[in-house]
Amino acid sequence: MNREQRLVARRNAADSRIKDFLDAFEEAADRLSIPCSERRRFLGWTIENLWNKHIEERMNRRLVIENEINNLGLRIPNGTVRKAYTASFALPADKVKDVAIDGLEETGLTLSQPAEGEYLISGTPQKHGDFTLTVSYSTVEGEPRSSFKLPVAFNPDPRSIWRDLRSRLHKDGVKPDWATEYIMVKEDAEGAPRKDVIAASIQGRSHAHEERPRDDYFAARHYEDSDWYVVAVADGAGSAPLSWKGSEIACDTIIEHCRENLDGNKVFEEAIAAFHADPNTELRSVLTAQVSNIIYKGAVKAHEAINAEAAAQGEKPRDYATTLMFAICKHFSFGWFIASFWVGDGAMCIYDEKGGSAKLLGTPDEGEFSGQTRFITMREIFHDKDLVAKRMRMTIVPDFTALFLMTDGVSDPLFETDNNLNDFNKWKEFYSLLKEGFPEDGIPGVNLTDDNPEAAGELLEWLKFWRPGNHDDRTMVVVK
Amino acid sequence: MRILPVYLLIDTSGSMHGEPIESVKVGLEALVSSLRQEPAALESVALSIITFDKDVKQILPLTPLDELQLPEITTPESGPTHTGLALQLLCERVDKEVKKGTAETKGDWKPLLFIMTDGKPSDSKLYKDMIEEVKKRHFGNIVACAAGPSAKAEELLKLTDKVVSLDTLDSTAFKKFFKWVSDSINIGSQSVGATDDIALPPPPPEVNLIL
Repeated sequence: MNREQRLVARRNAADSRIKDFLDAFEEAADRLSIPCSERRRFLGWTIENLWNKHIEERMNRRLVIENEINNLGLRIPNGTVRKAYTASFALPADKVKDVAIDGLEETGLTLSQPAEGEYLISGTPQKHGDFTLTVSYSTVEGEPRSSFKLPVAFNPDPRSIWRDLRSRLHKDGVKPDWATEYIMVKEDAEGAPRKDVIAASIQGRSHAHEERPRDDYFAARHYEDSDWYVVAVADGAGSAPLSWKGSEIACDTIIEHCRENLDGNKVFEEAIAAFHADPNTELRSVLTAQVSNIIYKGAVKAHEAINAEAAAQGEKPRDYATTLMFAICKHFSFGWFIASFWVGDGAMCIYDEKGGSAKLLGTPDEGEFSGQTRFITMREIFHDKDLVAKRMRMTIVPDFTALFLMTDGVSDPLFETDNNLNDFNKWKEFYSLLKEGFPEDGIPGVNLTDDNPEAAGELLEWLKFWRPGNHDDRTMVVVK
Repeated sequence: MRILPVYLLIDTSGSMHGEPIESVKVGLEALVSSLRQEPAALESVALSIITFDKDVKQILPLTPLDELQLPEITTPESGPTHTGLALQLLCERVDKEVKKGTAETKGDWKPLLFIMTDGKPSDSKLYKDMIEEVKKRHFGNIVACAAGPSAKAEELLKLTDKVVSLDTLDSTAFKKFFKWVSDSINIGSQSVGATDDIALPPPPPEVNLIL
């Protein structure tokens, strides 16, 4: 058979099938007594009905798939601007084809398909903001494409949006945004090295961002004649408008009070020596009375000095609310005598690396929520004698590596909990952090060798360490 | 890491249906996106949204600001306003989601509460009981907003002394209100070490302070 014959044969076969079909239709129509005049219309009606049913089924199949996809509740995580981002999701490959994402381009990301049914969004987002991506896909042939929304946000890197408005100058009579001090104490008459004091305080990023004053303050002295050290650290309450002044008054009052009471106070020094030689109850109470006279009275004076300033300015003392911790210490032939007072949060600790001990000089006042603490301006802290006693400490130790006083701007991020503050190993980590710095953030450590005045500036730089969510003022005084 | 928990309670009863709820959505989007520009907020704020109508739902569990994506908000066409039930769910969620300080864990910042309603509580008995429970949770601040002419400020004053009102339920008013909420949260996130109530920024003219 040639090509033409084959075509004719095929056409004949088709014709005969159509004839068969028409015959069958006519037979059925006869059987059902469908009038001849109605038959054409009936055929049209049948086709239309079946077509609609087909469309409906097709649409239903699409809707079923859409429902299934929507029920997956696909979500992708948010990202950070200029940090590599990847997010993946899966869609059933047997039901979903030709996946595309609208709105992806403007975010700087691209879509790829690492495996069948697997989709990967990746790249480095360039713009911050909230975006709504539209994921579209094909389901059933002949049906329109389906889609769902995929919200995503790209956050700025928090570090990049802090405004640093720190200034060294006094602004409107408010203290400068940072301060440093190094007290170099040269060898004694016998040539033995003596401890120095390193101190630094810096306005927190959150305050710098809003040009609010540094609420923290420190004061430190070494009296050459008596060889007493006095160190004080205070943290004004964030919510109290004049707390920056309150912390200043509190520390300065302590320094003045201790100078008056320590200079040439042979009675006190004899009481210390006597108690050390024979630590009996009677000598203890003699010494305690002496310590109270200096430490407790100092705290009361700080409280009163703030009240007096508030009265003079016509303000409320609570507007000056501030924490206060201070310590006095002196080296004797038998070791170091240290006495302290502490109200509020932060940390004060005698750290002895060789001896393997970290003695916290009190318990930080903390409430059930962060930021709740007590202040020297609160009258009630002086009411309960037992509670007052708990705020005071005295101790004699052979030696120590460092005496630390710090505000919660330092202790919160680096210790976090009370348990950690009482853990020698955490203090050991802290001490090495102080020496090593934070290399990942380009912040060097503090060179703690003796008689190194550079250390104060280094401590100031060190205090700028980064910890997310911790941007309070930071102050630290180290006797070492 | 410690967070500043912020709870937003939003009235989704029938009267909020339509333009009002659409304006609230726009306001919420603006709130989230402006807070995300603030470093202190970005690192510490966590947001939760509870909607209340006949039903009460926490449509957004307490989620850090940088991670959150706003959920859909729907309103029924009509029905009661179960404010009391909303406060009950709030207390349950706060107990579960806000960390208290212990020797082993650092506590979160005091939570903030913003509640917005355009009517009055339909469950007044429960509402009254729950006010006592809310007070026990020691929120750092509670701000209530009486939105539109039918809102009852005197009911809200039982919950907090910081009540503001909006004259209308249109998009301008809500926009201004949520901008102000966002400023308040931002101040909260910067007031680290604050013990008392966190100060609120002055409200814009569209937001009336009720004393």
